[in-house]
Amino acid sequence: MSKTIMTVDDSASVRQMVAFTLKGAGYTVVEAVDGKDALAKLKGAQVNMVITDLNMPNMDGISLIKAIRSDAALKFLPIVMLTTESQDTKKKEGKSAGATGWIVKPFKPDQLLAVVKKVLG
Amino acid sequence: MAVSKITEVSQYLTFKLREELFAVDIVKVREVLEFNQVTKVPRTPEFMRGIINLRGDVVPVMDLRLKFGMLKTEKAVNTCIIMVEITSEENSIILGLLADSVQEVLEIEPSKIDAAPNIGMHLNSEYIQGMGKHGNVFIIILDINKIFTAEELASVKGSVD
Amino acid sequence: MNGGLDQAIEAYKEEAQELLSELETSLLELEESPEDIELISRVFRAMHTIKGSGAMFGFDKIAHFTHEVETAFDLVRNGQLSVTKELINLTLLARDQIRAMLEEYGGGARIDESKSAEIIKGFKRIMQKVEGGTEGAESAASAKAGSEADESDEAKSVTYRVRFKPDHDLFMSGTNPVLLLNELRELGQTIVIAQTQDIPILKELEPEKCYTFWDVILTTDKGINAIKDVFVFIEDSSDISIDEIDSGEDVDELGENYKKLGEILVERGDVKTDDLRKVLGKQKKVGEILVESGVVNEDQVRSALAEQKQVKQVRESKQKMEAASASIRVPSEKLDSLVDLVGELVTVQARLSQVSSSRHDANLTSIAEEVERLTWELRDSTMGIRMLPIGSTFSKFKRLVRDLSLELGKDIAMTTEGAETELDKTVIERLNDPLVHIIRNSIDHGIESPEDRVKKGKPKEGTIHLTAQHSGASVLITIRDDGKGLDKEAIVNKAIKNELVAPDAVLSEKEIFALIFEPGFSTAQKLTSVSGRGVGMDVVKRNIDALRGNIDVKSTKDKGTTITLKLPLTLAIIDGLLVKVETEFFVLPLSLVEECVELTKEVIDKAHGRHVANVREEIVPYIRIREFFNITGKSPEIEQIVIVEVEDHRVGFVVDYVIGEHQTVIKSLGKVYRGVEGVSGATILGDGTVALILDVPKLVKAVEIEENQTMVPQLS
Repeated sequence: MSKTIMTVDDSASVRQMVAFTLKGAGYTVVEAVDGKDALAKLKGAQVNMVITDLNMPNMDGISLIKAIRSDAALKFLPIVMLTTESQDTKKKEGKSAGATGWIVKPFKPDQLLAVVKKVLG
Repeated sequence: MAVSKITEVSQYLTFKLREELFAVDIVKVREVLEFNQVTKVPRTPEFMRGIINLRGDVVPVMDLRLKFGMLKTEKAVNTCIIMVEITSEENSIILGLLADSVQEVLEIEPSKIDAAPNIGMHLNSEYIQGMGKHGNVFIIILDINKIFTAEELASVKGSVD
Repeated sequence: MNGGLDQAIEAYKEEAQELLSELETSLLELEESPEDIELISRVFRAMHTIKGSGAMFGFDKIAHFTHEVETAFDLVRNGQLSVTKELINLTLLARDQIRAMLEEYGGGARIDESKSAEIIKGFKRIMQKVEGGTEGAESAASAKAGSEADESDEAKSVTYRVRFKPDHDLFMSGTNPVLLLNELRELGQTIVIAQTQDIPILKELEPEKCYTFWDVILTTDKGINAIKDVFVFIEDSSDISIDEIDSGEDVDELGENYKKLGEILVERGDVKTDDLRKVLGKQKKVGEILVESGVVNEDQVRSALAEQKQVKQVRESKQKMEAASASIRVPSEKLDSLVDLVGELVTVQARLSQVSSSRHDANLTSIAEEVERLTWELRDSTMGIRMLPIGSTFSKFKRLVRDLSLELGKDIAMTTEGAETELDKTVIERLNDPLVHIIRNSIDHGIESPEDRVKKGKPKEGTIHLTAQHSGASVLITIRDDGKGLDKEAIVNKAIKNELVAPDAVLSEKEIFALIFEPGFSTAQKLTSVSGRGVGMDVVKRNIDALRGNIDVKSTKDKGTTITLKLPLTLAIIDGLLVKVETEFFVLPLSLVEECVELTKEVIDKAHGRHVANVREEIVPYIRIREFFNITGKSPEIEQIVIVEVEDHRVGFVVDYVIGEHQTVIKSLGKVYRGVEGVSGATILGDGTVALILDVPKLVKAVEIEENQTMVPQLS
């Protein structure tokens, strides 16, 4: 059965790019527009991994990671955050919040897939 | 003059066109095939009978009787195709020659081969390498490279009917 | 030298050639957008690879030479040097020089060393302009060279000892350590030993924590960075140590023996030297003693033993590990013979289908259908393998245009479109020469000098536009220039002078343009180094004919010339429509066939002897194959018209029966039948007989000409 990955980003173009790449590699993709939306959608769906942006309205990426880690049902869920190179502090913050890894924007499809494979096996 | 072309003892494959005996140098002969179906290529000279499938390759077949001004070869029990290799300058072509029957392989000494007379043959002396004798039978030894000259190669097209 | 190394060297040469072609494209693009970081890094990477691998395979001259170029682009990459026309020119020269060096290594002509020196001098001069002088550049470069040496070491198989001691809270970051270990396994020969001594007793154990840590003995040629990459997300939170324990190099010196067990444990910090000395006095095996005396536990000894074993193994088998690769190189002859075999298979499959359909045996039929399906798939994927994008050829022409226009003092830009269009490899290869020739002609005779262009009110810069696009089973390649166009009068005069046409001949525009493809025809007033190389456009025509393609020329005075080449996608196998007339079979290329309709006596009568049929209110002229090919016999009551499209016109071919689709393996008719009108080749049918493949466009043309000669003029 194909694994399900959730992409969380307020930018539709980033979500589409992530979704397109992952679908092409045989994954099922769920999209969420912000942290809140992501949490709501995580309740119902069987998601194997989350790829989240950090700067988002409503609930940002760091808060999302913290929320997931403190949810008994989700706490071991792999989460990869999208950062930009300049956001080194953000990266550390996310890491200590419990992110599994990160992808530096801008990234190419094969870089994304490499990280997904690394985290998801 | 023609006789000077032949200085060594060679082996020849003899075959019949109607009742006449002809021969080609065995070195030129690739194989002898049964005559089955041939596909005519339209709008080419009649003496070019068409093409056959030789183990997956397409090769042309020539009707020697038509070429030499006799009647068209009709398929009979002994009709066969002699596959020969024609060489000219840089080209090498595999060509099938229709014969009424293939006879035998003969060794003919150069001394038994005369030049072809320039007249009386009703056949273009260009095509003839020499006249051999076997017992008291004449054999017309063909110069296979001349049978199909470059000019003819070029003129296959166009000469309709 | 052994075969393996030779192969590696060959691979390097090929790789370098590819990089050089790519480099050329990148440079030309860079010239247009000198700020493009991606392009700059691409150029840098290409140089970097050529240099790095070059040094590894003994191409020291190339490595040394390329070093300067790389250094320059490193400066560009760091924003210290900007991309100028001078830099591009110099780099293009350097690229050519590297190519010449490659050829020299392959036994080609000796290169001009002074030219190399001059190019290097050029680069040094440019770099001098960088603030801080060349000093900085030099030192940056030598630092680079240092790291280079490391990299070439890394290509050897090196054995590492990795201790991965994750943070107890590892799971809380969603990390699965097993995946990381698997990732390590992918790098090479690996032994993983789990160390469990830190797991607390059950009462104290927190199930959500990770207490286990791992020793990994890994032999890899991917380098230490590849190992570090595995742990990239957790390197800050986990305890990770990576030690090189076998460099994979001087095996001969060391022999296959590796460190003693005690040494290994000491190195790892599992045992103190003092403790080791104490136990060494005893007679048992060191490991046993150490465990017994409680200095180390069994896991630790097991791990150390594993290390010992693996390094021994690696040293014993000096075989390098094969790097798995996503693509493989295959000599093109192998592909050609594959295509031949598929061709034969298609023919045999046709025979099988024919036999099975006459047997009415359900089992046989289903097998035959299966074989048919597989054969088609095999055919498609085989043809697919041979398809290459035409882009690489296009970029070569960019260079050609650039160099030639410089040489001739013309200002010409080349634009391309459809570089991704795929064509059979053989077609692409054989297309190269004709295209070079056409483009040369455009540059030399087509496009005017900048002054003339300005006088004519045209932009100073001329344009050559090269496009490729698919059109059914064909590919259209268009070469369009905005030059002075073909001079019809000059062409006709020349043709008359060369006795190609009669002085009083009345020629259509098309016929006039066709003259330039006649052997020996050349309108060039003087020979230039560009197009006066003893070959004329007739060679172009011959090449294109040989590819079963055709050429179309359109030209308007002072507006320019457009030459369109129409080529088949592939040369070997086509989809055909098999038809029958009397006892003869013919194949029409299915790509041209639009539809088949019946031709009844009634329709014939309505047309009053004219060869036209009314197909859904459209008048379609038709050609009777039977008549055109002089096939004797009587046609059936109802005949079939196969309607094809030729040059935007619908034309019908009247046959007795339409048999159906046929996978047509094209066989040449050979030299004897070269130039036969209306037939482009032959194919072998299922029963072994030969069917002719109709050359539809030529056949239509031949009929047109004949009818114009023999028929009353009113029926054009």
